[in-house]
Amino acid sequence: MSAEYVLMKGNEAIAEAALRAGCRFYAGYPITPQSEILEYMSVNMEKRGGVFIQGENEIASMSMLFGAAACGARCMSSSSGPGFDLKQEEISYLSAAGIPAVIVNAMRYGLGDGEITAGQDSYWVSTRGGGHGDKRILVLAPASVQECADLTYEAFDLAEKYRNVVEILSDGAICQMIEKCYLPEPHEHDMDKFDWTLTGKPRDARKNKAYNLSYYMGYEAYDKYMREKIEAMFENEQRWESFMVEDAELVLVAYGISSRVCRSAVRQARKEGMKLGLIRPITVWPYPRKAFKDVPESVKGYVTVEMSITSQMGEDILLATEFKKPLYGCLTSKELPTVEGIIDRCRDILAGKIKPMEVL
Amino acid sequence: MPVYRKPESIINTAGYCGGCGHGVIQRLIAESIEELGLQDHVIGCVDIACSFWSQDAMNFEFIAGPHGRCASVATGIKKVRPDATVYVHAGDGCSYVIGLAETMYAAIRDVPITMIVVNNGIFGMTGGQLNLATTLVGDKTLSSKAGRKVETMGHPVDMLKNIANCDVAFAARGALYDARHIDETKRFIKKGFENQMEKKGFSIIEVLSPCPTNWKLSPVEAMAKIKNENEKVFPVGVYVDRGGKD
Ligand SMILES: Cc1ncc(C[n+]2csc(CCOP(=O)(O)OP(=O)(O)O)c2C)c(N)n1
Ligand code: SF4
Repeated sequence: MSAEYVLMKGNEAIAEAALRAGCRFYAGYPITPQSEILEYMSVNMEKRGGVFIQGENEIASMSMLFGAAACGARCMSSSSGPGFDLKQEEISYLSAAGIPAVIVNAMRYGLGDGEITAGQDSYWVSTRGGGHGDKRILVLAPASVQECADLTYEAFDLAEKYRNVVEILSDGAICQMIEKCYLPEPHEHDMDKFDWTLTGKPRDARKNKAYNLSYYMGYEAYDKYMREKIEAMFENEQRWESFMVEDAELVLVAYGISSRVCRSAVRQARKEGMKLGLIRPITVWPYPRKAFKDVPESVKGYVTVEMSITSQMGEDILLATEFKKPLYGCLTSKELPTVEGIIDRCRDILAGKIKPMEVL
Repeated sequence: MPVYRKPESIINTAGYCGGCGHGVIQRLIAESIEELGLQDHVIGCVDIACSFWSQDAMNFEFIAGPHGRCASVATGIKKVRPDATVYVHAGDGCSYVIGLAETMYAAIRDVPITMIVVNNGIFGMTGGQLNLATTLVGDKTLSSKAGRKVETMGHPVDMLKNIANCDVAFAARGALYDARHIDETKRFIKKGFENQMEKKGFSIIEVLSPCPTNWKLSPVEAMAKIKNENEKVFPVGVYVDRGGKD
C-alpha cells in the first residue's frame, strides 16, 4: 500500500488497482455508469505493456477475454445493466473451463435499458447468474473507493486460487463517487506460472485444452471437483462488516451504496434512542451467513435496505437467519435510501405498523 | 514417386463423418504448419461444431469457445501470445452467421491470425439446418424443407467480398473436389500461415467443403454438387493479397 493517498473515482480505483494487480488485458464496450473503467484502461493499459481492446460489443469483448485468460494473462472486463447481460455466455464458458477472470458490474437501475443512475437490482443476475449451468461466481461488493481498489486487487488472486470468475459488484453511486484512496503496490503477474494455460507448447510436451473440464476429467471427477470448490469458496470467503449488532433491536442488512446510508442511520437512530445495527455483506456470494450468528437472540427482526422494487437480497437473509426472525423491507427502487427514511421505516416496524415481507 | 505420409501433428482419429471435408482441411492445416516449421508453438481455436473434433486429433494446444466466437477468442490469444501461431478452424455458421460480427471485426482490426472457414452450406453439427449465409437458393435443409426461398430467407452471400472491403492481408476461397483444387487450397492455407509468420495481418481462407451426411448425398455426389452448383455462387480464387505491406 502506498503511503500517499490519491483522490479517485470508484471506477478509476477499480481500473488502477487492476493494473497494479498485474491485469494486462482489458476488453469492454462502453456503458454508463462504468465507461471510465474502459477509458482509464485505454489510456493506461498500453503504458504498462498490456492489451486494451474496445470490443464491437460485450459478447465479443468477453470472447477475446476468454482467449487471453486461457493463456494465463490477468484479464478484466466491465459493464452494467444490459451490457452485463451480454456477458453471461462467456461467464458460463469461463466457468466450464475453470478459467479465472475478473468482471465488474456497476449496477444501474431498472429493467431493459433502465436508467443510467445507481440501482441495486442486478443482485440476482450477479449472485445467481453467470449464464446457464452449475457454478458459482465469487461476488465482491465494495462500499467505498478504498474498497473498490482493495477488492479489485485481491479479486485476481481469488480468481486464480479457485480458477473461478470473480465479480466486482459496484453501483452507479459507488463507482462515481470521489474519495481518498491508498493504492496497492504494483505487482507483476507471470502468465506462464500455471500448468493449465495455453502457451503453444512444443511437440513433445503435454498439451492443454481450454474447454469443459468435464470433457477431460470425466463427469464423476468433475462433479466432485466443482462441489468441493464451491464448498471451499462458501466456507472460506464469506466476508462482512458488522456494526453495532451486539445489542440491536433491529438489524439493517445492506451492501454497497445503501450500506453507507445505513451506517449513518444506525448512528442517528441510536442518538434518538432506537437501537439499530448493521450487517454489511462484502461478499454477496458467498453470502456471509456466519455474520448472522453474532446477532443476539433478542433481535426483533431484520430490515433489508436495497435499491430495488422487490427485495433481491431478502432470500439470502432468510436463509442466513433460518427463517427464525421476521424480515422487513426498506426498498427504495431508483432513489438512494435516506437516513430519515430508514429511521422512519424502523420506527414503524417497531411500532408494529409494518408487516414482515411475504413476497420478496 | 510421391511419398504419402501422415503429418506428425495428427495423433488421433477425429469424429468426422466419412467423406467430410473437415478432415481434409485439418490435414492441410497440419501439413502447412509442419512445412513451415511452426508446429512447436501453435494454439488452435475450434468451434463447438464439427471442427471441434480437430482438437482431439491434433497435437496442438486448443481452445473451444462459445459457438461463433472463434475469431474473437483467437484475437484475445494472439494479443497476449503474439509469438504463437494462432489459427481458427470453424464452420460457416460460426464464422458468417452467429459470429459474423466477430469475423468482420477480426478483419477490421486486421489481427494477424489465420482463419479457416469451412463453407459446407449447412449447420453440420446440429443435424443439417439452413445456413443463411451459404445455403444455396432451392437447397433443402431441415429448416428449409421445401428449399431455400429468396422471399423469406434472402440470398446466400459471398462473405469474402465483404471481407475484401477491409484492409486485410489475405482472403481466398478454395475447394476440395479434385487434386488440383486440394493443392490450391493447401497453397492458400499455407500462405495464411506464412503471412502470420511474417506478422502481416489477417488472413482468411474459406473452403468449399462437403457435408455428405446432411446433404444426404454420397461423398462422390457431394463433391459433384460443389463443382456444379456451390462453386458457381462462391467462386474459388484469391480475393485479397495485400503482399508486402506489414
Ligand atoms: C449460442 C449457441 N447457439 C446454438 C448452438 C448450437 N450449434 C452448435 S454448432 C451450430 C451450427 C454449426 O454449423 P457451422 O458453424 O456451419 O459448423 P459445422 O458443424 O457445419 O462445421 C449450432 C447452431 C450453440 N452451441 N450455441
Ligand atoms: S455432419 Fe457434416 S460437417 Fe459435420 S462431420 Fe459430418 S459430414 Fe462433416
